[in-house]
Amino acid sequence: MSDAVITVGNLGKKFMIGHQPEGDLRGSFTSKFRRLLGRSDVRSQEEFWALKDVSFEIEQGEAVGIIGRNGAGKSTLLKILSRITHPTTGYFEINGRVSSLLEVGTGFHSELTGRENIYLNGTILGMRRAEIKKKFNEIIDFSGVEKFLDTPVKHYSSGMKVRLAFSVAAHLEPEILIIDEVLAVGDAEFQKRCLGKMDEVSKNEGRTVLFVSHNMGAVENLCTRGILLSAGEIEIAGSTQKVIQQYLEGTREGIFDLASLPSTGSKQLVFDSIEFLSESRYLPFSNGQIQLSFLSDLEVRIRLRPLKNTKDKVYVAITVKDMFGHKLITLDNLYIDAPFYMNDDAFITASCCMDEVSVNPGVYVMDLWCSNGFETYQKIENALQIEVLGRDAFGTGKVHHSSKHGFFYQKHKWKQIH
Amino acid sequence: MPSHRIVVDASKSRFSLNLRELLDYKDLFLILAYRDLRVRYAQTFLGLVWAFIQPAATLLIFTVVFGRAVKVDTGGIPYPVFAISGMTAWTYFAFVLNQSGNSIIGAQEMVKKIYFPRLVIPLSKALVGFVDFVIAFCLLVLLMIIYRVSPSANVFFLPVFVVLTIISALAAGIWLSALTIRYRDFQHVVPFLVQFGLYATPIAYPSETIISNLPRWGTVLYYFNPMAGVVEGFRWSILGGAPPGQLAYLSFCIVIALFISGLIYFKRVERIMADIV
Repeated sequence: MSDAVITVGNLGKKFMIGHQPEGDLRGSFTSKFRRLLGRSDVRSQEEFWALKDVSFEIEQGEAVGIIGRNGAGKSTLLKILSRITHPTTGYFEINGRVSSLLEVGTGFHSELTGRENIYLNGTILGMRRAEIKKKFNEIIDFSGVEKFLDTPVKHYSSGMKVRLAFSVAAHLEPEILIIDEVLAVGDAEFQKRCLGKMDEVSKNEGRTVLFVSHNMGAVENLCTRGILLSAGEIEIAGSTQKVIQQYLEGTREGIFDLASLPSTGSKQLVFDSIEFLSESRYLPFSNGQIQLSFLSDLEVRIRLRPLKNTKDKVYVAITVKDMFGHKLITLDNLYIDAPFYMNDDAFITASCCMDEVSVNPGVYVMDLWCSNGFETYQKIENALQIEVLGRDAFGTGKVHHSSKHGFFYQKHKWKQIH
Repeated sequence: MPSHRIVVDASKSRFSLNLRELLDYKDLFLILAYRDLRVRYAQTFLGLVWAFIQPAATLLIFTVVFGRAVKVDTGGIPYPVFAISGMTAWTYFAFVLNQSGNSIIGAQEMVKKIYFPRLVIPLSKALVGFVDFVIAFCLLVLLMIIYRVSPSANVFFLPVFVVLTIISALAAGIWLSALTIRYRDFQHVVPFLVQFGLYATPIAYPSETIISNLPRWGTVLYYFNPMAGVVEGFRWSILGGAPPGQLAYLSFCIVIALFISGLIYFKRVERIMADIV
């Protein structure tokens, strides 16, 4: 036998869709009755394989990132490996103490105090009482909520709750850690600390980590190897770089309809469509990608559809990232405090103008976000891609490129003084 | 803590209760019960007093209706003592029944996000109910003192019947928690069962009253109620009188059969719980 800590062979999970699996007594009786009479069940059942023939091995100390679009089977895989659901086919074997973190704050009860919730959540995650007691002070220090330790959690802000929950999770000491996209919550600074903690865990302590994320930056930083799932099957497995590259290439197609893109948020206001105008013409979409020229002008028009009748303020942000998910620029009307206003159920069209697009030629990914300033209405990650084409802007026949010269072009002048 | 070697194979399925694993999760079992207890009377003015008021009020209405108006023959035992001795076991059973049915649906956020032996959930409900049991038992002792009723010599059998009460409650609880996940119909059945059982169990009246008015098959059916024998035995061990009849043993057997079959059924449903909850 090899020294793999996780061995997965031909793992598959089938769901029946088309009707409720076993929702009510009547359905179950009638179908049994039909079978008894030798008639086939007329209710339409469709098989859906959320996971199909997945096999891989993970060795001690490896950090493996699992990526893929929504519905690719990432969560199903983690749920099977965490023993939350049972596979339909195949087998797996795990050697070592496992903790899985598919959510932070599982079992948190709002009526209980912070202290009680630390014990409750810790126990649910598989720590023993004595173990929690030993690490109690460390957990509180990490969370920064010591002042409110004996206050019921219902009086906490959502940020405090997340910090407390994550602090408990960060102090788990398993040999194998299975993490779903739990970093999507919490503020950026805290996310960074958590990522740092996880990095430390996998690199210094030789712990095996299995990590699902849409945050390519995090996957790139943390993981030594990647697995790309698509439609329930492994599309490619290998070095993190290679797998991420393939994933991002795959996301180029079909992402131009904003209304149908996967997103998060309260969705009281949602993105409807987006248009790009440059040099007085609309830029055509091709496979969810637009092309524009270096140093040309650009107007982005975003249409938003309210799903709630209010007259709230509306803030919109466009974040431009590189192919690895590193954020480069955010264009928003929040920090300059120039809100738009919702007018009951009327569409809002927001326009954002730039005289010169001064990012260097290369391919970029765009995130969209809208909010009333307090809660996120909608956030669409990797909404679309922008390719900035090189152009002989200086009349020299030489063209900058992001891969060689960095991401930005700063307007400037050179002269010889001596 | 999860065991150090986990093997899951979809092509093999065998029944195993895995008691050792269940023991590993005893901290979780305790803290879930603690959570339920803490939350139950959170932000109430009377707090734990409610656990006392509820059986006391039922006892009062029983005493007025069956003790005074109908004048049930209790064989010389003061009616309130007679009724509370039956209610003590029943209250516990009813509580566990009520709580277990919905317990796994109520914990679905946990069930979908983390692994633990799911049996911990109905078991912790049974522990929470034990507080109610103790309070009702105190009420029983108090009334025995007030009415100067001394315990019978059978009191040595009391622990046996306490254990039977617990097993009976667990049996029903485990069955219902597993059934309710598959068929939500049972959410509507449970309140009805509890109400029905209150009258179909010799709590407010001695079993002879009903047996003498039923045909033989009716009596047998009556003892199919798992609590019928348990309540009778519970009362007999404290207050004496005629020992539980032959048919009461049928009732005990039903309890054990329900318990074992419940465990088997629960284990079968356990692996698909997260998918259908």
